[in-house]
Amino acid sequence: MRLAELPRTTSFRLAMLFLLLFGTAALLLCGFLYWQTKDFLSEREDETLVTEQAAFDGMDASDLRELLAAHVVMDPHLQRLLTLFGPAGERVAGSPVGPPVLAQPSDHPFTFTQQRNGRPVYFRGLIRHLPDRHYLLVAHDMTSIRAFGNLVLESCLWGGLATVLLGLTGAAIAGADAIRRIEGVTRAIQRIVRGDLSGRLPTRGDSGDLDRLAQEINFMLAEIERLMLEVKGVCDNVAHDLRTPLTRLLAGLERARRSAGSAEDYAAAVDEGIEEIRGLLKTFAAVLRIAEVESGARRAGFAYLDLSEIGADVVEFYAPIAEQKGVALSQAGDAAVVMRGDPSLLFEAIGNLVDNALKFTPPGGRVELRTFANDGGRGIEVSDSGPGIPADQREAVLRRFYRTEQSRHTPGSGLGLALVAGVAGLHDMAIAITDANPGCRVALIGAPAAGKAEIDFMPARSGS
Amino acid sequence: MTRVLVVEDDPQTAEEIRSALSDHGFAVESAGTGREGLLKAAAESYDAIVLDRMLPGGLDGLGVLATLRTAGVESPVLILSALSGVDERIRGLRAGGDDYLTKPFDFLELTARLDVLLRRHAGVPQCETMLRVGQLVMDLLTRTVSHAGKPVELLPREYRLLECLMRHAGQVVTRTMLFEDVWNYHHIEPTNVIDVHIGKLRRKIDPDGAGSMIQTVRGAGYILRAPG
Repeated sequence: MRLAELPRTTSFRLAMLFLLLFGTAALLLCGFLYWQTKDFLSEREDETLVTEQAAFDGMDASDLRELLAAHVVMDPHLQRLLTLFGPAGERVAGSPVGPPVLAQPSDHPFTFTQQRNGRPVYFRGLIRHLPDRHYLLVAHDMTSIRAFGNLVLESCLWGGLATVLLGLTGAAIAGADAIRRIEGVTRAIQRIVRGDLSGRLPTRGDSGDLDRLAQEINFMLAEIERLMLEVKGVCDNVAHDLRTPLTRLLAGLERARRSAGSAEDYAAAVDEGIEEIRGLLKTFAAVLRIAEVESGARRAGFAYLDLSEIGADVVEFYAPIAEQKGVALSQAGDAAVVMRGDPSLLFEAIGNLVDNALKFTPPGGRVELRTFANDGGRGIEVSDSGPGIPADQREAVLRRFYRTEQSRHTPGSGLGLALVAGVAGLHDMAIAITDANPGCRVALIGAPAAGKAEIDFMPARSGS
Repeated sequence: MTRVLVVEDDPQTAEEIRSALSDHGFAVESAGTGREGLLKAAAESYDAIVLDRMLPGGLDGLGVLATLRTAGVESPVLILSALSGVDERIRGLRAGGDDYLTKPFDFLELTARLDVLLRRHAGVPQCETMLRVGQLVMDLLTRTVSHAGKPVELLPREYRLLECLMRHAGQVVTRTMLFEDVWNYHHIEPTNVIDVHIGKLRRKIDPDGAGSMIQTVRGAGYILRAPG
C-alpha cells in the first residue's frame, strides 16, 4: 500500500470533507461563545462601575478622602482603584494611578493599562466630575476576565488541534482500509480474469454495503462458473456425440470407396451416410434449441393458454404409440389450467415426458397425465408404472446428454429432459421428480393463479 | 415451366439448390448478391424466389425482400437462414416472406415447401366442397370420407391429416409440414410418432392393404397418389 494513494480513496476524501465542515462549524461556535461571554462580562463590569460611582454621590469631600485612604490600606494589590484627582489632574487621594487616565471623557466606562512590575495590567474604569471640580476614578482590575477569555481561546485552539489530528488519523485509517479492500478485490478479479473461475471476492461477513456488493458479485461469479462448466460439459458431450457418428460416416464412405462394386452398393452407402448426417443434425438442432429456450428469447411469444388443452393434444398425439405398446395412456385432473406460455414449447416438453414414460413403461402398464390448479400451484404431471428413476440420479437426468445406466441401450439423445428443464425454467415452473410407487412421477409446477381475471383474457387457440 | 430465382452467396450451396430444384422440374436462375437478386427479380417475373437471409454487401436478404415488396413484386418468397431463433423466423415472415427454412435443410423439404407456396400463389378455388384423389373422396361440408363409394370412419385428427395430404395430392408433404398443419404446434423437431398416425390412417383408407395410396418418401415425408 502506498501512502500517495491515500488521498485518492473515497473514504479518505469523505473523512476530510467532514473534518473541514465540522471544524468550521466548531470554530464559528467557539468564536461566537467567546465574543458573547466577553461582551456579557464587560457589560456587567460596567454596570458595577456605574453603581459604585453612584454610591459616592452626595458624599462629603472630607468623608470621601477618609474612605479613599482606608481603601488604599485595604487594597494593597490594587484590585480595585478608587482615586480622587484635583482640578489640574493631580492625584489628591486614593489608589496610586499613572498619569494618562484623565484624558478620557467622563461618565463613560473605558479600558486603560497600568504598568505594574514592568507588565501592563488592564483596567476598566469610570470617571466622574465632582461638584468641587475634582474627579473621581473608579476602576476594576480586568486580569481575571481577560484570563478567562484567553482560557476559552486556548481551549478552542487545543480542542481544534485534537479534532484535526483525530480526524486525520480516522481518515487515514478509513482510507487505508478502503485501499486494502480494493486491493484485495482487485487481486481477486485479476485472478479470475487470468482464468481461475473458482476465485471469489473477499468478504468480511459484516453485511456492510461493500460486503453485500461483494456477495452479489460472488453469486454472479458462481453462476458464471456453473454456466462455463456446463458449456464445457456440453462441448465435451457434443464432441463425443458428434465424433461417434462422424467416425461411422467416414468408415462407411471409405468402405464404399474401397469395396463397393455396383451402383446399388454405392447407393446403400450414400443412404447410410445420409441417415448418419440426419442424426447428427438432429442432435445439433436439439442442443441449439435448448440453448435458445434457456436464453429466454421465446418469452416474447408468450400467450394465454390452457395446460389441460395442450395435455389433451399430447395424449391424443401419443395415443397410437401407447396403443401399439399396450400401455394405457390417460388424462385426468382439473380442466382449464390457464397460464401464460409458449404452447409449442409446452407441447414439446410434455410430449417429451410422455414419450419417456411410454419408453420405460413395460406393456400392460399405465401412463397418466394430470393437470392441477390449486393453492399449491398450477401445473401438469406425468406418472408412469415403469421402473422409475433412482433418487440419486433425479437431478442428473435433467442435465444435457445424461443417460441412466438402464437407459443407455434405448434410443435417444439424452437431451429430452434437459429441454423439459429448460422449458420449465422459461415458464418459471419447477420440475419435481418423485416416486409414484411403482414408477415415477415428473411434475411441472408453476405459481398458483393470481386471480380469476386471467381467464377472461384467454383467446381461443386458433385452429384447434 | 416454373421459374425460380435463387439468391444465395455461397456458390456451392447455390449450385446444390439449383441442381435439386432442376431435378424437381423447375427452371432456376441464380444471383450471388442482394443487389443482383433485386435487379433480376424486378426485371423479370419469377414464380417463386428462394432468398438467403444473410448476404454479403450492403443489402441483406430482408432488405431485398422489403424492397421487392415495396416495388410491388408479389412472387412468393422462401427465406433460407442459418438463424433458427423463433424471433428471426417471425422477423423474416413479417418482412414479407411466405415461408422460412433453417439451414441445414433437406432438399425434399425445400421443394415440398416451394410446391405449397406455388400452389397457394396460383390461387386454389376458395369454395371447394369436395376433394377427390382416385377413388378417395372427401366432402368438406359434411366432413365425411369415402373410398370407392364405401364410407371411411375417421377420428377428427385423422380427418385433418388426410385433408392435408389430399390438398397436396401428388406432392411431398414433410412431417414438419404435417405437424404444423394438423396439430398446429410450430417449430418442433418431427418425431416418428407421426409415422404411427399415418400408419393408422393408411389402414383405414386401404382396408385390404392393396397398394397404399399414402407413400412414404424416405427421410422426408409422405405423398398421396391415386394408384396406378
